[in-house]
Amino acid sequence: MDSQMMTGNLAAAWGARLADVDYIPAFPITPQTEIVEALAKWCERGELAARFVSMDSEHSMMTAAGAAEVTGARVFTATSSQGLLHAFEVLYAISGWRAPLVLVNVSRALAAPITLEADHNDVLAARDAGFLQIHAETCQEVLDSILMAYRIAEDERVMLPVIVNLDGFTLSFTREPVSLPDPDTVRRFLPPFRPSHLGFTASSPHALGVAVIGGTPYAYFKHQMHLAARNALEVHRETADSFQALFGRRYDVVEGYRLEEAEDVLVMTNAGASQGKAAVDAARAQGKRVGLLRLRMIRPWPADAIRQALRGRRAVAVMDQNVAPGQGGILYREVAACLYHEAARPGALCSFIGGLGGQHLSEGMFHAIFEQTAEAGVAGRGCGPVLLYSAEEHREMTQLQMVAGTVGRDGR
Amino acid sequence: MVAVRFHGRGGQGAKTASRILGTAAFMSGYVAQDCPIYGAERRGAPVAAFTRFGREPIRERGAIAHPDVIVVADATLLDDVAARVLEGADDRTVLFVNTSLSTEALRAHVPIPLQVTARDVTGIALQQLGQREAISALLGAVAARLVGLDWESLRSAIGRELEDLGLPEPVIQRNLTVAKQCYETVEPAPLHKGQGWTAGTTSIHSPAYEPPTKGTARISAAGNSVLRETGGWRTFRPVLIADKCNGCWLCFAYCPDGVIAMNRDDRPVVDYAHCKGCQICIHECPTHALVAEREQEGGVAWTAK
Repeated sequence: MDSQMMTGNLAAAWGARLADVDYIPAFPITPQTEIVEALAKWCERGELAARFVSMDSEHSMMTAAGAAEVTGARVFTATSSQGLLHAFEVLYAISGWRAPLVLVNVSRALAAPITLEADHNDVLAARDAGFLQIHAETCQEVLDSILMAYRIAEDERVMLPVIVNLDGFTLSFTREPVSLPDPDTVRRFLPPFRPSHLGFTASSPHALGVAVIGGTPYAYFKHQMHLAARNALEVHRETADSFQALFGRRYDVVEGYRLEEAEDVLVMTNAGASQGKAAVDAARAQGKRVGLLRLRMIRPWPADAIRQALRGRRAVAVMDQNVAPGQGGILYREVAACLYHEAARPGALCSFIGGLGGQHLSEGMFHAIFEQTAEAGVAGRGCGPVLLYSAEEHREMTQLQMVAGTVGRDGR
Repeated sequence: MVAVRFHGRGGQGAKTASRILGTAAFMSGYVAQDCPIYGAERRGAPVAAFTRFGREPIRERGAIAHPDVIVVADATLLDDVAARVLEGADDRTVLFVNTSLSTEALRAHVPIPLQVTARDVTGIALQQLGQREAISALLGAVAARLVGLDWESLRSAIGRELEDLGLPEPVIQRNLTVAKQCYETVEPAPLHKGQGWTAGTTSIHSPAYEPPTKGTARISAAGNSVLRETGGWRTFRPVLIADKCNGCWLCFAYCPDGVIAMNRDDRPVVDYAHCKGCQICIHECPTHALVAEREQEGGVAWTAK
C-alpha cells in the first residue's frame, strides 16, 4: 500500500474523498480550513465528484449538510471550536432526523479568552447531541475512522451522524506517514448509501422534523436514538473486523497500551495519548507497572470495555483535556459512573486536568501523574481534580500579568 | 530519534524547510513527523517548525523541547527573547544560523557553548536566485546534510515539496541547484540523537483563586503595544530616495501597521523600531522612491531592546 507524509487535515480530506461523498458544505476556521481547501481543490479539478458549496456560517453549513443528507446524499463537512458551537442547535436536528452524515471536528479550545490550540471542551460539548463520537490519535486513524464512521452511521441499526475528532495542531498540522487505502477496496468496505427512511422524490412525499406536542411521542423517538447509539457498539466491532480484514489495521472502541500486569492505568484520549504512551514506556523502563487506556469511542460510551480494562487495578488516573467549571473533568465522572457497579473496581480513581488550550505536558509532568496515582493507590483514596501546572508555568503567567498591567512589578 | 527545530520569521520558509527534511527522512526509509507552530502571526513574526525522524514509531508530539539540531533562518531571532531559539539546548546541540557573520563572530554572540555553524544562506539566495526570502529549500538542504541524509532523498523531497507549493519547474530546478550548493557547504554533525535526556518529576503547583482583576484575561496597561518593538521582524527595510518621492502619501495610506508618518514636506518617515518589513510601501510607491535594503547583522541592524 502506498504510504505518504500527510497532515491530519489532509488525511481527513482523503477520508471524505475515498468515501466518495456527494456533497460538502464548507466554512473555514483555524485549524480546520486545510480540510475544506483540499476538498475544494479536488472538486474543482474533477478528482472528487462532489458538490462543494461555501456557506455563510457554520449554522448554515450544518443546516445545508443535514438537508442534503436527508435527500439521500452522502455528506461530509468539517469545523472546529467556535464553529461547532455556532452550529449547535442544528446538530440536534440532524441526529433527530437520523441523518447519518460525518462531521470532522478539529479540536480547538473555546473562547474566552480566545486561543487556537487544542482541548476538548468543543467536541465534548456536543456529547449529548445524538452524534456518535470517534476520537483519533494519529493521522492514519483520522482517515480510517472517517471510512469506518460512514459504515457505522449508515447501518440500519444505527442511522445516526458521527463526529470524528482530531486535535488541532498536534494532528491537524502534523505530518506523519499515512497509508492511503485502495479506492476499490474502500468501495467493497463501504457500500453505496441507500437509506430506507430518507430521500425525497416527487412521487413519494414525506416530512421530517415534524412537531410532536406532548411527551409520549417525543420520549419514544428520543429513546430510539439512545438505542440506536447503543447499537453502534456492536456495529463498531463488526466494522472493525471488516476493516481489519480488508486493510490490516484494527481499531476498537478502546485501546489498551501495555495493560498486561499494570497496577496503575492512565486513561487518555486523542493525540495526547501518544505522549502518554511514551510516558508509560519511560515509567516501565524504571520498573513501574503502569499502562494506558485510550478511549477512542466517546459516544456511545463503551462502558463494558472500560470496566473490563480497569477492573482490579490498584489505581486509575483519568486525564481530562477539558474542564467543566464547578465540576472538574468531563470524562472522569463518566469513567467513575461506569465503574460504580464493578465489584473489583480500582482502589483509587484520580482526576487530572491538563493540556487546556494546547498546554504542553512535559515528561516530568507525566512522572508526577504516575507518582500521585501510585500514592493514591497505596492510600486507597483517589485525588483531584488536579490541574497540571508547574511552578515555571506559574512564573511565566505572572510575567504576562505584569505586562498586561493586572499584576504589579512586586508580583501582587 | 533525531529532533530538529527550525526557527524563522513568517514568510522565510521555516515550515517548508521542516517538511523538506521530514520528506527526505521519510524517503530515506525513516519514520518521520513534522509540524509547525504558528498562531495569529504575519509575515516577519517569529515562527517555529519541528521535524522528528527515527527507526521506531514516534510518540512525541508538538514542540521539540530538547533538539539535536537547531536551524535558525534569521540571526535577529537570537536576540528576541520571545522566540526562545536556544531553549532546551546544551553543549551537545548543533546550532546552524543563516547569517552574514562568520562562525567565529556568531559563536561569540551565543551565550551557551553549542556546536555552532554559520552560513549566509540569504546571501547565496540573493546571488543565485535573486529572490529575497525563498530560502526554504536551502535551509532544508543544510538541515538534511547536518543530520546525515543523502542528496538523492533530499533532491526528491525538495522537488516534491516545492511542487506541492505550486512553484513552476524552472524555479524548482534553480532551487535544487542552489540547495546542492548549500548542502555541500556544511558537513554532517555528530548527533546525540535524543539520548541522555532524563526528565525529573515536575512538581505540580495548581494556581489558587485570585480576584477577578488578576483572574480574568484582560489588559489594563494602556497603549503598551509600542513596547513590543517589531523592527527585528524585518529582513529588508524600506529606505527613501528623497528626490524620487512625489509626496503622494500612498505609502502612508497603505502601511498596515501605521509606522509611516509624513513630515512637513510630505515625505515619509519610517518608524524602524516597529516597521515589520512587509514591503507593501515599496510595492505601492508609484515613483519607486522607496527601495528595499537588506538588514545587516553585527551592529548595523535594529536589535530588540
